Amino acid sequence: MHVTKEKTRPKSEDQARVGVFVCHCGLNIGGTVDVPQVAERAADLPGVVFSSSNLYTCSEPGQEEIKKAIREHNLNRVVVASCTPRLHEPTFRAACAEAGLNPYLFEMANIREHCSWVHLHDKEPATEKAMDIVRMAVARARLLEPQIEAVVPVTNRALIIGGGVAGIQAALDLADEGFKVYLVERGASIGGRMAQIDKTFPTMDCSICILAPKMAEVGRHKNITLLTMSEVVGLEGYIGNFRVKVHKKPRYVTDQCTSCGDCVKDCPQLAPDEFNEGLSTRRAIHIPFAQSVPSSYVIDMDLCLNKEGILACDKCLQACKAHCIDFAQGEEDMEIEVGAIIVATGVDVYDPTPLTEMGYRRFPNVITSLEFERLINAGGPSQGHLIRPSDQKIPKKVAFLQCIGSRSTRANKYCSNVCCMNTIKNSLLIKEHWPETEIKVFYIDIRAFGKGFEDLYRRARREGVEFIRGIPGEIIEDPSTQNLVLIGENMHLGEWYKYEVDMAILSVGLEPRADSKYLQQLLNLSVGRDGFFLEAHPKLRPVDTATGGIFLAGCAEGPKDIKDSVTQASAAASRASILLNRGEVTIAAISASIDPDACTGCGMCISVCPYKAIRKDEETGKAVVIQASCAGCGTCAAECRFEAVNMQHFSDVQLYSQIKAATVEEPETKILAFCCNWCSYAGADFAGVSRIQYPTQARIIRTMCSGRVSMDFIRYAFARGVGAVLVSGCHPADCHYINANVQTEKRVKNIWKELQKKGLTPDRLQLAWISAAEGQRFASVISKTTEILSRITFREIEKTKEAYRKYLKKGE
Amino acid sequence: MSVQKVWSLFDRSQLYECYECSRCSGSCPVTLSEVGLGPRKILLRCLQQGEEAVVKDPMIWYCTTCQVCQDRCPQEIDIPELLTGLRNMASTRGNMPERVKFSVEKIAKTGRSVLAFRIERERQRYGLPELTEINTEEIVALLTETGFFRDLKITP
Repeated sequence: MHVTKEKTRPKSEDQARVGVFVCHCGLNIGGTVDVPQVAERAADLPGVVFSSSNLYTCSEPGQEEIKKAIREHNLNRVVVASCTPRLHEPTFRAACAEAGLNPYLFEMANIREHCSWVHLHDKEPATEKAMDIVRMAVARARLLEPQIEAVVPVTNRALIIGGGVAGIQAALDLADEGFKVYLVERGASIGGRMAQIDKTFPTMDCSICILAPKMAEVGRHKNITLLTMSEVVGLEGYIGNFRVKVHKKPRYVTDQCTSCGDCVKDCPQLAPDEFNEGLSTRRAIHIPFAQSVPSSYVIDMDLCLNKEGILACDKCLQACKAHCIDFAQGEEDMEIEVGAIIVATGVDVYDPTPLTEMGYRRFPNVITSLEFERLINAGGPSQGHLIRPSDQKIPKKVAFLQCIGSRSTRANKYCSNVCCMNTIKNSLLIKEHWPETEIKVFYIDIRAFGKGFEDLYRRARREGVEFIRGIPGEIIEDPSTQNLVLIGENMHLGEWYKYEVDMAILSVGLEPRADSKYLQQLLNLSVGRDGFFLEAHPKLRPVDTATGGIFLAGCAEGPKDIKDSVTQASAAASRASILLNRGEVTIAAISASIDPDACTGCGMCISVCPYKAIRKDEETGKAVVIQASCAGCGTCAAECRFEAVNMQHFSDVQLYSQIKAATVEEPETKILAFCCNWCSYAGADFAGVSRIQYPTQARIIRTMCSGRVSMDFIRYAFARGVGAVLVSGCHPADCHYINANVQTEKRVKNIWKELQKKGLTPDRLQLAWISAAEGQRFASVISKTTEILSRITFREIEKTKEAYRKYLKKGE
Repeated sequence: MSVQKVWSLFDRSQLYECYECSRCSGSCPVTLSEVGLGPRKILLRCLQQGEEAVVKDPMIWYCTTCQVCQDRCPQEIDIPELLTGLRNMASTRGNMPERVKFSVEKIAKTGRSVLAFRIERERQRYGLPELTEINTEEIVALLTETGFFRDLKITP
């Protein structure tokens, strides 16, 4: 450790004794920012009594140095200038606590994700920016107050959403550990996609044969409550204490059903069978598939002739000797209390209809890979005979086309992960039954990366499956034979091909559930650019979500094969069980309180609180916060005109001090950016991790929610002469505090009007919705705002300062 | 304006989007006529050998700009625009094939790319009216404006 400066200050002058630790992070920060210079200059900041730089502050010796400095220099505030608080705040808070300092007296200055990584080639401006960030952190640190975290008990039950193989595995793991589990499945049976697949790669196990025992175990496990035909429709509460609303649709068949199937024969209503991908039909009363759990029939009321209690047809009722048909069953709403939630909602399959050149739906013998699974499956519509749909003949020549709907800006940009191996497996299945079949696989890249995958690929080649690099441009049908002609370039031979085949299978990709947006908003999850649910950290917290107590498993998080889904499900169950086993959880001490002396009882805070956590005391007429309901967004504090609301750890004085510190030097060249903790701050972090370069003008202030940003903060910043202000938060409807960002928009619009009225440029206040996955968007918003900044004249700045002069006293 | 660089017409960064699936080549009508154009190869050569190597290749003149390749490209690369850019560049270098030059000159002189007397007989057979004279002044003005005569060193 390089100690830059040690000072002694009389205690009476300044209560705060701040220690600053500037981290090199190897070359991550030190390669761009002049770290010793920052540490040197930080020593002169008001309140700072100790300043040093360190190669790796997060290392064990680095943490020891902090503890030592706290003891030796009697520090009562600590600032570490290094990476994002989303990464190491817990580390340093723990170090402070070990040295006897309240962890809330620690502050982090993010000079890596928000500075060195995004200004790799601007060393001097980056150093100036780092200095500003440290100055802001020190200013805030001086005003930090100790907080006590509340410890609340955890409900030792879990909810699993989705009954595919991931949901099944997670449910069994938790139930075996002794926890009560609710497994909610939308369909009539659990099993998911795996139940539809014929064989699994690379071992060629029969899919349903290995899945069915697990399904049955779920059905009979004493710790699992299986709720089929059910959907999650509401969520309240927080980590360890969720209250979930579940809506259950009626089955119209009671639990006594013996699945004898007598009812089916007489049912007059037919529809395409979803489980067989529409390749066969089913009746209104049906069982999804032979191995269904629960093993019970179900009536599709959209199809049944009996509607709204009018009995128009009683054929099934008459046929059922066990008297299990009950048309009187109604919908059911229930509320369950759980401590942890695992989201295992799976995937949809890409529909290749928009790719007209491939002829899907135009030519009967062009099918998708999932339709193929049902055709080759013994339980499928053709009893396992691979027949082509046009004439039910067994094809002699088959083509597989890879990357349909994957790796494309027209469909989904990502690789769907499973299609290569699935096709190789399917080609071998055909060879197994009909060895004479000619099989051609048209591919771009074969991705056989997993354990045992390369062996299977080799086996397919040895069995005579032809792999041809180059996807056909189009598929043409010969109308007389309904054979298919594929035209394209064999890139490896440098020749053109024109092949006639009997059947073509489009290897379709996987995509997020079409209605995943609904669950995303309900559970406050983030989604990545690919539309799948986003994990808290791609490497180190791969099954956690940003919302505490909610975990991800299976394809809901991204396309993956069965093995990875099961692995992830067990991981999610294990993560959940840590929480459930511990039995209690500490809640961050960030909530609102109201000063009764300042409160006038106007009720504005009550009207904006998304959680209805503020009520008016009938006796005093003043507002009172219900602490257990307050989530800490701070929109009440931003709304209050009498400064009566105190937000713990994000108080007005703390935020004003940061604005002031950011506008000490050349404020007209700076963009003050308010970023909400969950989305836009994380988005700025993501820009850093991705090393997306953008101009150095932004100075970021973190608030829990963009709803915390009061109009006076913006006015004060303009009074201080700042060039531009950016307010950014989660996308509308994605707000982590229900809808607090509605207030953000309202406030920004008010200031826009105000600026216009004063004859100032409203452009200087920017509002942007940036999600945690939108690093590129954050960078482009800063670039755009910098452009606006470059057009602002000195006169404009002076005029604004004058117009808002009276707000200057806010920050004093 | 003469075209010095093809990249003033086509965004070079689009080339990096190509991962060689060859759907474009499989879709190309010139491929079907057995000349074997293959837009994929032109893209790859631009990336790996540089546009200078491609500009001299007479193959670029076979493109009909039918846009099917672009229509089916999974990465939405504007391949016809690349071909147009390459041909513009080739023209300014004097690499325009004689038969193409002949056609354009014909348009400048008669307003038609084919010789009128060859199709008059056909038209008569189908009872179509005789072709009318075309005012070529506008066409010449247009071609002058685009720099056609200057770049190809042709006198109008």
